[in-house]
Amino acid sequence: MIRYFFKAMGAHFRSGRLLFVLTVLGVALGVASVLSIQIINQNSLAAFEGSMMAVSGDADLSVLGRLPTLPESLYVDVLGEEGVAAAWPLYRVSVSLAQHDRFFLEVIGFDIFAPIRVPWEGGSPGDLSEVLARPGWAAFTPALADQMGWSVGDSVQVYSGSRSVSLHIGALVDFQKLSPLASPKMVVMDIAQAQHLLGRSGQVHQIDVVATDDTDVAQLQARIQKKLGESVQVVTPEGRSRQTEGLISAFRLNLTALSLISLFVGLFLVYSSTQASLVRRRAEFGMLRSIGTTRGQVFGLIVGEVVVTGTLGVLIGLPLGYWGALENVDVVSATLTNLYMLEEISTLHVSPWLFATAGLIGVGGAILGALMPAWDMSRRDTRSLLSAFTLHEKIGSFAPHLSAAGLGVFTLVGVWYVAGGSRWQHAGFVLAVGLLTGLPLLTPMAVRLLTQQIKFRTFGLAYALKSVGARLQTTAFAVAALAIAVSMLVGITLMIGSFRETLTVWIGTTVVADIYVTPSSWRGQGDEAFLEADLVERMRRFPGVKAMDRLRGFLVSSQDQRLALAGVDIGIAGGATRFTLLEGDSETAFAQVEEAGWVLVGETLARKKNLWVGDSVPIYTQNGIHSFPIAGVYYDYNAQGGAVILDLQTVEKYWGQGPVNSVALYLEAGVDTEAMVDALKAEFDTSAMDIRSNRRLREEAMTIFDQTFAVTRLLQGISLMIAVCGIALMLLVLAREQVSELALYRAIGATRYQLFSLFVGKGLGMGLLGLVMGSVGGISLAMILIFVINRAYFGWTIQVYWPWFTLGQQAITILAVSMLASLYPALKASRTPATELGRDDI
Amino acid sequence: MISSPVQNVSDYTRKFGMYTFGIFWFMGCLLATAWAEDWHTAVPDYAWTFPQDHWAHEKYKTEWWYLTGHLKNEAGREFGYQFTFFRVGVLPGKPVLASDWAANYLVMGHAAIGDLANGHHIFSEVLYRATPLLGGFAAYPDTQLAWSRGPLGTAESWSLSWNGAGFNFVAADRAQKMRIALRTRAAKNLIFQGPNGYSRKGTGEAAASQYYSFTRLVTEGDLTLGEETFSVTGESWMDKEFGSNQLDPGQTGWDWFSLQLDDGREVMLYLLRDRSHAVNFSRGTLVSATGLARVLEQDDFEVSVTHRWQSPRTEAIYPAGWTVGIQGETWTIQPVMNDQENRGELVGTLYYWEGAVNVTRAGVKVGKGYVELTGYGSGSVPGL
Repeated sequence: MIRYFFKAMGAHFRSGRLLFVLTVLGVALGVASVLSIQIINQNSLAAFEGSMMAVSGDADLSVLGRLPTLPESLYVDVLGEEGVAAAWPLYRVSVSLAQHDRFFLEVIGFDIFAPIRVPWEGGSPGDLSEVLARPGWAAFTPALADQMGWSVGDSVQVYSGSRSVSLHIGALVDFQKLSPLASPKMVVMDIAQAQHLLGRSGQVHQIDVVATDDTDVAQLQARIQKKLGESVQVVTPEGRSRQTEGLISAFRLNLTALSLISLFVGLFLVYSSTQASLVRRRAEFGMLRSIGTTRGQVFGLIVGEVVVTGTLGVLIGLPLGYWGALENVDVVSATLTNLYMLEEISTLHVSPWLFATAGLIGVGGAILGALMPAWDMSRRDTRSLLSAFTLHEKIGSFAPHLSAAGLGVFTLVGVWYVAGGSRWQHAGFVLAVGLLTGLPLLTPMAVRLLTQQIKFRTFGLAYALKSVGARLQTTAFAVAALAIAVSMLVGITLMIGSFRETLTVWIGTTVVADIYVTPSSWRGQGDEAFLEADLVERMRRFPGVKAMDRLRGFLVSSQDQRLALAGVDIGIAGGATRFTLLEGDSETAFAQVEEAGWVLVGETLARKKNLWVGDSVPIYTQNGIHSFPIAGVYYDYNAQGGAVILDLQTVEKYWGQGPVNSVALYLEAGVDTEAMVDALKAEFDTSAMDIRSNRRLREEAMTIFDQTFAVTRLLQGISLMIAVCGIALMLLVLAREQVSELALYRAIGATRYQLFSLFVGKGLGMGLLGLVMGSVGGISLAMILIFVINRAYFGWTIQVYWPWFTLGQQAITILAVSMLASLYPALKASRTPATELGRDDI
Repeated sequence: MISSPVQNVSDYTRKFGMYTFGIFWFMGCLLATAWAEDWHTAVPDYAWTFPQDHWAHEKYKTEWWYLTGHLKNEAGREFGYQFTFFRVGVLPGKPVLASDWAANYLVMGHAAIGDLANGHHIFSEVLYRATPLLGGFAAYPDTQLAWSRGPLGTAESWSLSWNGAGFNFVAADRAQKMRIALRTRAAKNLIFQGPNGYSRKGTGEAAASQYYSFTRLVTEGDLTLGEETFSVTGESWMDKEFGSNQLDPGQTGWDWFSLQLDDGREVMLYLLRDRSHAVNFSRGTLVSATGLARVLEQDDFEVSVTHRWQSPRTEAIYPAGWTVGIQGETWTIQPVMNDQENRGELVGTLYYWEGAVNVTRAGVKVGKGYVELTGYGSGSVPGL
């Protein structure tokens, strides 16, 4: 039997190369999409964790402020605590590289006399006086130096807030020796220089602590926490990673779900191809059975072949997946930087386990896809295997049962959701899985019902469409696979389109000032990119400027959650629409914020923490926790989980004076905005600042949005490709299994052209049916994404908009591709000679 | 075995030896010559002003206050101790940076207690950049001369101050379970080492330091060892030295003696060695009972080693017994106990021997003292 297995395999490959290639490709694409997404997911935090390891890898504990920074005087308290073997402060600043778009360096200022390991390249710098006193002395990684063509002794211009600073490359330091995933964009310098040139004195971002060997780290953590008080958090490295992991868990889950859908579609393909292969070899199995081969042996033969096909698919899919990850890492990385300000993913680290898991999923999935046809084939009696035209009626009679099962799935999931499942954060995914499971089950019945309505008179397109319903065993699966892919395409298109339109409208109402001035390092540096105070004053007095709105923001803690706090000149004339309120009366709310020190709360926070007008939000201030009453809830599309708006004066009252992060200028009537932008650029040294008009800011916001969803679009594409492969495969199967029928048509006078049209028509019909089913599924999926998943993870309000043009384009593409995919099978079918008609068939 | 933070830091630095700043930075800073021309060097005609000259001299690269002494409690239990603050210059001027971390020198402290009856020696150290947060050196008329945060894991700071008649100082180390808190009062006036306190260390003009000593300080206070605190009294010796790059090139270490004789006289001797371990420069001072100091040139005295001792920890072989002859008088010097090796960990693998000794003549104890031995083994030389 084993010898037969190998001999037969070779023969089948030779006789149906395309079928074989499509099957392998289906598995390969499914495996590749799962693997690439998992690699990217695993690495999404790798740069952050790698850099953390390189700097704080030996630390048992890190002391972090509840505000972005903490007073450096706390370092002394840490030093003196019993059980501390070493401790060092870190001052961290993201700076942007001059003349490079969005190129950020992570500067780490540390006490060079602290016992922290620094992997100097080519020995430590000899002259300590240079390190301490040469302005801008810094050590760069060799990888970055190579990439940029820099060497020791060169100067590098960077921006920190509105400051432009020249860094001197004094030494090379290879952090990847300590942590292979560390970002090559790490730069180290003495803490005094870092504070002086790039930041603020008196403050640090973090204090790392190493415990003595005989100290219980948890006890030390508790002692330091007690000593330093509630204004800081003392965390273990694991605790820190968990915090960040929590931040992006929704993002990772979404990607995983999408990649699994690709695999799901891939499994349909395997099913179809196995079916195709079996149909072709029906007579062969009949022969085998008639000469005494057992059912088990036939079953084993079929499954064995699928294992080989699956393995080949995996072998192609694994490198393809890795390549996919490499190709797309920049896109995901940009998303992570945009949304979460995490460090870029610079190198991919892949554990062998990931490959093994993806491989198992591929082979396992292929077996799963083949089980039903294999079981079906093995249990048939010899006679039915050897005769034609009996095979396909099975699923037709099953169609009502399958539909009932599909409806059952919908009901079950629906009831579960309504009965309390909705309270679970991941409930949306259960709904989506229910939808994507129920939809294919409904497909045979739907195809049958739809095609039953078709009346035909001639041997043309209508006949072709009707025949789709007559061959459900084969066609229903192709339609179902396409429907799943289309559901995903339509669902995501609709969700992204709605989100994009919602944002466009939101930006239109909230971005109301004429000109916006931000430090160019803002995107990497976030709240620590400041505008110098004198610069702000000069802009306020600039001719043509009517009013100025300042924004000062930083992260604060509220009940163990990080909130993005922003102080603005809330009472500025004409600025009322900056925050469109979801709850609360605009006039009253703004007055309360300005006069009584109340706050506006972002929708994300309001939904997550159930905080609405009348409640109050406790926030850590300079002098402990203060509860701020909520005056209103505004529409907010913040990714970090929560934002509050206060009047700038309230911020100063509770957090002290501080620099502002950006300003918005309102111009006198009649002043041309673009001309004013030019005038400001001419007046100020704008090397470290971006001065943008209202229009440009809106455009940039949308560019970031599009970048964020780039990877989602990619996954959509993969699924669609798999589904199109499925259509081609199904038509091949049809051509193959209908050889006798086609010969009969030919014998009774059908022309080759008519057979060709029949098959193209079938392709189109399947495309059309897939499109109809997929649209229904897609719209449902979009609603789940918008109203359930998005609400649960982000808490945004997305208005539903119909991107008709894009959807229309997609529909035409699907139909065109379905037709294209049917060309080869159609050609093959049209060449069927009348002599293929067997005696049994007459 | 008592686990100490020093030991743990030591394990830590050893583990990642190739990466630590440790000795590279420290020696780098000591040997850096880029700014040497801006540092003041020792001169023969230095205009001394007291008490101001007890305070720091920031224009000189290196400076130290070195106190050693023999103490005993009421029950007669004997202790030796060392307390030192070093000022290690990196830059002649403070960098103008808007940061409290801006610093141009380091503050380093060493402290040791020898439990002479039980043969137990404990060493502790601190090293910080001189900043308002971590340590530094005050200026006259502040009573404080120097201070620093305690060793890691110890809340109490180390400090040294001038009390008008002598020095008060505190050094504690929680993990080592030791604490020194002593008050001293000069029993004899300070004396200059070398003519007008100009102490030559080599043949070159610049190879010198400004150097004076309090050779006999009446001392009292508390020593804590383990769980016990002892009220102690005794006598100390204090050396104050400052200069810039005062060693000759090629000098690798020294033997230094401070001896307090029972007849009221004191002797200070130092012998500097070159790379071949031969003594290439030596000087000394003999102080009379009335406080008159007489400079001893190289030919005025003779020191020969009678015993050696190998450290089990560092494997360095140190001299451990001497005969000293000065103008017809001969003394025998014997360590009170062999293992009085200070093993520092904050500055790479710095280690040296600093210990209490007895002075005998013809088998009779005629005095006591402290001896410092550096540059033995493959370890590092404390910077001068």
